[in-house]
Amino acid sequence: MSAPDLKPAPAARPAGFGTERPSMRELLAALEADRAAMRDEARPAAVARQRDRAEHTARERIAMLVDPGSFREFGELAREAGEPAGEKPGDGVVAGAAKVEGRPVNVVAQDFTVMGGSSGEIGSRKMQQALRRSVREGAPLALLLDGGGHRIQIGQNSRRYAPSTGLFQDLARLSGWAPMCAAMLGAGFAAPTNFSGLADLVTMVRGQSFMGLAGPALVKAGTGEDIDAQTLGGAEAQVDRNGIADLGCADEAEAIGALRRFLGYLPTNAGQPAPVREAPPEDPARDEALLDLVPSNTRRAYDMRKVVNLIADPDSVFELKPTYARNVLTSFARIRGRPVGIVANQPMSMGGMLTGPACDKAARFVSMCDAFGLPLVYLIDVPGFSIGSAAEKGQLGRRSAKLIQELGHATVPRVSVVLRKGYGLGYVAMAGGRSFEADAAYAWPTAEICAMSIEGAVQVVNARKLAAAEDPDAMRAGLIAAMRAEVTPFGGAEGFGLDDIIDPRKTRACIAETLERAPARRDIGMPPKFRAITPI
Amino acid sequence: MTDRMLDVASEVAGTVLEISAAPGAVLAEGDQIMVLESMKMEIPVLAETAGRLAEVLAAEGDPVAEGQVLARIAA
Repeated sequence: MSAPDLKPAPAARPAGFGTERPSMRELLAALEADRAAMRDEARPAAVARQRDRAEHTARERIAMLVDPGSFREFGELAREAGEPAGEKPGDGVVAGAAKVEGRPVNVVAQDFTVMGGSSGEIGSRKMQQALRRSVREGAPLALLLDGGGHRIQIGQNSRRYAPSTGLFQDLARLSGWAPMCAAMLGAGFAAPTNFSGLADLVTMVRGQSFMGLAGPALVKAGTGEDIDAQTLGGAEAQVDRNGIADLGCADEAEAIGALRRFLGYLPTNAGQPAPVREAPPEDPARDEALLDLVPSNTRRAYDMRKVVNLIADPDSVFELKPTYARNVLTSFARIRGRPVGIVANQPMSMGGMLTGPACDKAARFVSMCDAFGLPLVYLIDVPGFSIGSAAEKGQLGRRSAKLIQELGHATVPRVSVVLRKGYGLGYVAMAGGRSFEADAAYAWPTAEICAMSIEGAVQVVNARKLAAAEDPDAMRAGLIAAMRAEVTPFGGAEGFGLDDIIDPRKTRACIAETLERAPARRDIGMPPKFRAITPI
Repeated sequence: MTDRMLDVASEVAGTVLEISAAPGAVLAEGDQIMVLESMKMEIPVLAETAGRLAEVLAAEGDPVAEGQVLARIAA
C-alpha cells in the first residue's frame, strides 16, 4: 500500500483581497500550484491504484496517442464547486487539443482514479467541449475510455438529469464529418459504450477491457443474470462475437497505437482529401505471387488475406474487425500510396458466403469509406448469401439490403475484380459488373459469374429428370459441366458486362491506374430526397 | 499451470470430408485440423490458437451442425 496522496497546502492560493494585492508572479505561482496538484506526480496513491488494475494513467495514455509536446489541455483547472485542487482532478476527465502525425485531433481521456471515471457535470461538459470543437474545427475526436456510467450520486435527481445534455446530438453530428475513434482501456460499461456507439473505430485490450450497456451488478439487479464482466463484455464477447468493437489488442500501447494508425488513412474531415504517402517501389515478385494463390477449383478454399496483402502496398493493410464475421474482410490499405478501402470475400471462412454479420460489417465499412472519401476496391469470390431458417431468422433479407443501400449512395470511386465466384445478389452487393457503375469491372480468368450456385441450379432445374435417370450422378456431372461452360468470364467480357479479363499479375496496376484517373467524388444522380432510409 | 482447453466449433452445418490432424499433434495458429464439406465447398477448420490437439470429436463422413464442437485444443 502506498501512502495517501498529499493534499496541496491550503496556503498555495493567495488571499486575493487584502490591503496588498498579490503580484502577477505570486498569482502565477498559485496557478502553477493548482495545476501541479492535478498531475499524476502529485497523486502517487491514485496512480498506484490505477497501475493495479491497468497499465497507464489517463495522462500517460494521451501521451501515447498524440505527437510529443502537442497536447493543449482545456479544463485542467475545472472542478466541482467546493472541491480542493487535486482532490478530484479535472472532475475525472482530461481533455484537450493535440496533433497526431502533425494533424489536429481533440482528445478526451477518462480518469478512473477520480470517482471510478464516472460522468460528473463538469467532466461531461469538458467532453462536450472537445466534441464541439471537433464539429466546429472539422477535426477527429479520439476517446480514451476507462470509466463508469453516470455518476449515481448526481444522476438520481430529476432537476439535474431532466435537462440532459447535447452531447449525444453532437456525437451524431460529428459522425461522418470527422473521424471518431475510441480505445476501451478498462471499465467501459454504460457511458463509455454509449459514447463509442457512433465511433468509427473501437479498440479493446484483451483481458483488461470490458464494455456493454450495463455491467454485471446492474445486470444482476435488473434481470437476475449472474455473469462476470469479462464474459459479459470482454473482447472475446464484444470484438470477436458481437462485433461492437473492432480490434482486440494485446495491451494499451497496441490499442492506442491502432487509433493513430487508423487516423493515418483518413482525412482530417470529410471535406479534405485523405493523406497520400509516397508510392513504394513496385515489386514484380509480389505481382507474380498472385498467379498461384487462387485455385481454379471452386470447391477449394484459399486465404484471401494473402491476395489483399499483395494487391496493396507492402505493409499497408490495416484490417478492421479481423475476428468478427471472418467470411468478409474489410481493410484500409494503400495502393501506390493512396488510401483505399478493400472489401473482400474470405473463402477460408464459410466459403466466403455473405451472412448477416458479414453484411453489417461490410455495409458499415463502405459507409465509412464513402464518408471519408476512400475509394472502394472489391475483391469478389462470393458463393452468395447464406440460406436457410437461421439466415431468415437473422433478417438477412433486410441486412443484405444494407450493402445495396450503402453502395447505392456512395459517391467514391470503386473498382471490382471477380477472382472466382460471382454468384447471385452477392455479386451485385459486391459491386460486380455494372451494378453500381464501377469505374472499372474486372475478372480473373478463373471467374464464374451467374445467378446462383451451379450445383444448386442444376438440381433445381433438373430435379425430375435426375430422379428418373438411370445414373443420376453421371447425368448431374454432365449437366454441371455444360452449365459451367456458360458462366466463364469470357461471356461476361463479350457481353461487355466486364471491362476486361485480366492477368492476376496486372490486378494492382489495373486498380491503381483506374483510381488515379477517377474523380474523388461522382454525381450519382440522386433525386431531390432529404435522406436515405436504412433497411434495418 | 494447467492447460486451457479451447473448443473448436463448426462455423457451418456440413459433413466431415477429411481429418487432417491427429490427437496429440502440436498445432500452430492457423494449422488445419479437418476439412468440412458444406454448400459444395471445402471449408477448412483451423486452429485459432497454438496448442496441442487434445481431442478430435468427429470422424470422416460425420454430419456436423453449426456450432458443434469438433475438436479441443489444450493451449
